[in-house]
Amino acid sequence: MPGQEGDSSDTDFQRARRRRLLIVVLLVVLLAVSVLVALLIGTLGPIGPGDPEKISLGDALRAIFKLPGDRPHYYDVVFWEVRIPRVLLAGLVGAGLACAGAAMQAVFRNPMADPYIVGVSSGASLGAVAAGLTGLASIAVLGSVITPALAFATALITVFVVYFLGSVKGKVYVDTLLLSGVAVAAFLGALVSFLIYFQSQEYHRIIFWLLGSLALASWPAVAVLVVAVSIGTGAVFLFSRDLNALLLGEETAHNLGSNPEMVKTLMLVVAAIMTSAAVAFTGVIGFVGLIVPHMVRLIVGADHRMLVPSATLTGAIFLIWADSIARTVIAPTELPVGIITALCGGPFFLYLLRRRRLGGAT
Amino acid sequence: MRLEVNDLSFSFGDKKVLRDISFEVADGEFIGLMGPNGSGKTTLLRCVMNYLEAGADSIRVDGKSIHSMSPVELARTFAVVPQSSATDFTFTAYDIVMMGRIPHIESRLSGASRSDDAAVKYAMERTDTWQFAARPFFELSGGERQRVIVARAIAQRPKALLLDEPTVYLDINGQFEVMDLIKRINREESISVIAVLHDVNLAARYCDRIALLSHGRLEAIGAPKEVLTPENIQSVYGVDVVVRKNPFTNAVYVMPHTTTPLAHKHGTRVHLLCGGGTGGPIMKALLDNGFSISTGVLNILDSDFENAEDLHITSVAEAPFAPISEGNHAENLRLIDGSSAVVVSPFPVGPGNIKNLEAARSALRSGKKVYIVPPEPGKSIDFVDGQASKIITGLITSGAIRVNDIDDLLVKLSNGGST
Repeated sequence: MPGQEGDSSDTDFQRARRRRLLIVVLLVVLLAVSVLVALLIGTLGPIGPGDPEKISLGDALRAIFKLPGDRPHYYDVVFWEVRIPRVLLAGLVGAGLACAGAAMQAVFRNPMADPYIVGVSSGASLGAVAAGLTGLASIAVLGSVITPALAFATALITVFVVYFLGSVKGKVYVDTLLLSGVAVAAFLGALVSFLIYFQSQEYHRIIFWLLGSLALASWPAVAVLVVAVSIGTGAVFLFSRDLNALLLGEETAHNLGSNPEMVKTLMLVVAAIMTSAAVAFTGVIGFVGLIVPHMVRLIVGADHRMLVPSATLTGAIFLIWADSIARTVIAPTELPVGIITALCGGPFFLYLLRRRRLGGAT
Repeated sequence: MRLEVNDLSFSFGDKKVLRDISFEVADGEFIGLMGPNGSGKTTLLRCVMNYLEAGADSIRVDGKSIHSMSPVELARTFAVVPQSSATDFTFTAYDIVMMGRIPHIESRLSGASRSDDAAVKYAMERTDTWQFAARPFFELSGGERQRVIVARAIAQRPKALLLDEPTVYLDINGQFEVMDLIKRINREESISVIAVLHDVNLAARYCDRIALLSHGRLEAIGAPKEVLTPENIQSVYGVDVVVRKNPFTNAVYVMPHTTTPLAHKHGTRVHLLCGGGTGGPIMKALLDNGFSISTGVLNILDSDFENAEDLHITSVAEAPFAPISEGNHAENLRLIDGSSAVVVSPFPVGPGNIKNLEAARSALRSGKKVYIVPPEPGKSIDFVDGQASKIITGLITSGAIRVNDIDDLLVKLSNGGST
């Protein structure tokens, strides 16, 4: 820090900590702004193609905040039945996936780990396909509940199967767990492919699943995600110091008063709940859980006290924007949001990665 | 802190890894755990820190069983320094040391306080790591990283440090750097140290006491010079060694012999004239190649005298610093008489031992083969005003064989001297 001679450097680290706290505050503000702006973006909205109709900013804001005014009734429906739940769901799913990703990367001590590493995605896909094939999904009203419920259940079952394959007498062996996850995912993936192969009418539904989309957002989905994500992120944050310690090895973690077995299991459980809940409503949205924790780590460092809240907030912001692009870029048609997350996130991540490598060399 | 280990046994499934181990570690003591791979050292360490749960209350800290201590209480008692700590994640050195404060931070919700920062800074200054506090941990060298880990252990404010081969992946400079640091902390803050160490000499130098383990049993415990005897090391490691005293530190040090199987012992006797340590390599080479050796005359305390003792070689001994007496000279000639060849090492010649060169001359006259090993280039061995060089030149002109080096000596000895 130039020009600050005389300051003893011990306060530098306290100052750095305050500065990092500021990042969190900044991210909260950015999230609030993102939510508001994203609400205004759309085929119906002040920001967007204006096709079929452009809503004035004033009308849109009045509809969003339920203020009285002279506007067509369906404006309120557009915002309150469609767009608000969708943007909230995008934020919640992004937050949950990013937080779960950060937790999994620490548990597996592997920066390539992501929330789907223990088989959540393939488990959920199988559940969704099964719902379609058995006709459960086509039952009126109930169908829209049954599909996510079944996907959620099969996702959780899969995680527990993988967990039991990867642990012996309550001791979790992360390398075994990792391989079990890969093997189970491959097996279930093959089952899904097999089912689609003979039931081509399910093909579209499955592609929709595998790429992920927020088009089916609803208030019940938001409610479920609120519960899952607040429990999950809260638990991960409370154990963020344990995750730090875990990264130095289980022996060290134990020596620092942590209980590595309990922490690993707890993190697997909460990550599985968050991820399964997300996948159940939105399908397999890739990239967020892998890349967001990475991006954030490059900026705020690996300390989970900082990383977990930052990654959670960034995940929410990232997915809100990705979804905003997905639903407008080729309007009136929608792109699956997974395409956008990979298209935008990939290059940006590579840029950060290169910059750090080059910066480290000098 | 007083640590008592009482009748500690531990098994992995059916495999008994530790059997009935009992010892005590006093406050501020530096104790080394040694033994071959698989002897149970690391397991013992992990039992002490309660990472592996041994049955019964066989481990007590100040009289209190570690089973009755909470994880946080244990974390404030023992700090562990593992063999190496690597992480792919971008923690700064400061982050790593701050982890040592985890057992001292009140709750999961509270942040690090000023006193935590102070403790981290103290630990990093103590270990001379403060200057790279802000650098990523994985960019540091092995020695620096290990010092950061030691800093983390200090920040933990433990009563004892438990080290598991803390220097195994370090180069020689890093080894001393880390061990000196640990010793300093041990002395100045009277933190007890229990260290699994592989390097016998490192252990001898730093430990107050050494516990020697073999097959899960405690074979010996005591001061390094009591425990690190050739007999103990032979019985535990199965290696022949020589134990000496380091002239600078007074610590014992252990030198292994090569464990190559001996050549056929043909027993051809060679008499070696040597001194000042120049004879050691020749003794070893000749023995390894099946010769039997006698040597003389050597002053007691001369390093070649000690070499001969260690290798159980017959030698004619003279009192320390005394010139060779007539009686010993005669004894030397008698030994030469009984041998089939004489080898002259490039020993430094002074007025006291010039008789050894005269012995070579009389050997040559009586028809023995005499081999002369030359000194290293540029190194003078003549401390008698050219008299020694004159004798050696004389020896060579009258038929003594000048070899190039020890390998050449072995070739020529087995060819019977023909060049």
